[in-house]
Amino acid sequence: MNPPSERTYLWSRFTLREAVLLCFCATFIVLTRAGLRLHLHLPGHVMFFTMFFFLLARGCVPKVGSAALVGLITSLASVLLGMGSSGPMVFIKYLLPALVVDLAGFLFPSFVTSMLACAAVGILAAAVRSVTNSGVELLLGMEEEVMLKKAAITAIMNCTFGGLGSLAVPSIIRKLRANGLIDQGSGTR
Amino acid sequence: MSRSSRPYHAPAGVPASRGYACQFTAHDSPLHRMGAAWKLAFGLVLTALAAGARTPGTLIVLTLVALGYYALARLSLGDLWRDVRLFLFQAALVIPLHCLIQGVEKGGWTGVRISAQIILFYLPGAVFLRTTRTADVMSGLRRISPYRLTFLVCVSVRFVPFFFRELEEIMAAQRLRGARLLPRQQLDPRNWPDLFHCLLLPLMVRALKCAEEVSRSAEARSFGQSRERTFYLADRCAMSSDDPNPLPQRGRVREGEFSNAEPTSSPLPASPLRGEEI
Repeated sequence: MNPPSERTYLWSRFTLREAVLLCFCATFIVLTRAGLRLHLHLPGHVMFFTMFFFLLARGCVPKVGSAALVGLITSLASVLLGMGSSGPMVFIKYLLPALVVDLAGFLFPSFVTSMLACAAVGILAAAVRSVTNSGVELLLGMEEEVMLKKAAITAIMNCTFGGLGSLAVPSIIRKLRANGLIDQGSGTR
Repeated sequence: MSRSSRPYHAPAGVPASRGYACQFTAHDSPLHRMGAAWKLAFGLVLTALAAGARTPGTLIVLTLVALGYYALARLSLGDLWRDVRLFLFQAALVIPLHCLIQGVEKGGWTGVRISAQIILFYLPGAVFLRTTRTADVMSGLRRISPYRLTFLVCVSVRFVPFFFRELEEIMAAQRLRGARLLPRQQLDPRNWPDLFHCLLLPLMVRALKCAEEVSRSAEARSFGQSRERTFYLADRCAMSSDDPNPLPQRGRVREGEFSNAEPTSSPLPASPLRGEEI
């Protein structure tokens, strides 16, 4: 698929087509989050699709900052759609795992095609996200032991769902690449 | 900062109360009329005070202030229940845990204090979301963030119903072809490959094509070439008229609302998309 033009649109990095594609990934995270919260009441299940779309965004637009842009748009869209009750924390909740994905992409540009690497990044990013809630509880003066136990349960659930969601990314990326729908992603740009 | 002293009128089709937490609720209240920035500033002060509260007296005062703030928005007890019920479930976990570790006397109070603080920490955010229209948040966002980013956020929000419909159509078609996509079928992890390969892969292909179309369409209108752009301020247009219902009315534009930076129509939604449409 040929891009309409190579003129950069955002941060001297993304073309308009790439930026719009990334914002669609953010739309999907918002959609799945809204859909899941109506049906499931499992802690950490949000990370299943969040990590899937963060990694997919990185695979479709193999540039540093792509996952961070998705995280930023997701947090802003969540606030706009009334899903950001945690206030400014919503930015940290999405940006921190996105930055982990970007860092992994920067260090290992082709990690999105490896199931093991995707699962590792998914688990790590989900674990980082679970730290956010513990930060608030620490700020409020919660008993350390209680906080740590709660953080451990949250982290395990987040990591499980985040890892499972990430496992599906390599096969999707390979199919999209095989059909010439996305770049071959030869390296970091 | 304040938008207007005129009473707030709910847009047609937006009921006064909705089914789930932090959903915008249309009422005519001082908080609905207050500017988004003021609400945000007041909410941040309340949040900071909640984080710092340690004594029972401070907590009682803060709870009363938070409830007063909530009542000022004319939100019902049902709304309050929907906004805080998740934290109440959390409290039901935190208080016994503290009692187990520290004993009932000391741990009981600590658990109650932490639980109350968590609710007070998040409640101002819920009030903000319940009293601020999407259009107002977007207009505020436009002032503080670059228009290129604002455009992307608007596109993201705007395409939620579009992709929701796409998702439903793809799901219906794939189920006819035998894909196991029903929620009860998805409880079995062996059916998860169907979710990814029969639903999310076609959705992603649709997103790629749609991104191509949107970007071509925008670039054909020279979008993104200038450093600044113009905006169609629909709410101001309606405010300038005598119409008591400030619904956007195209074609009633004040002089000076448009600059000459970039001749393009706004990507901002004329009628704001709300969460309940999802």
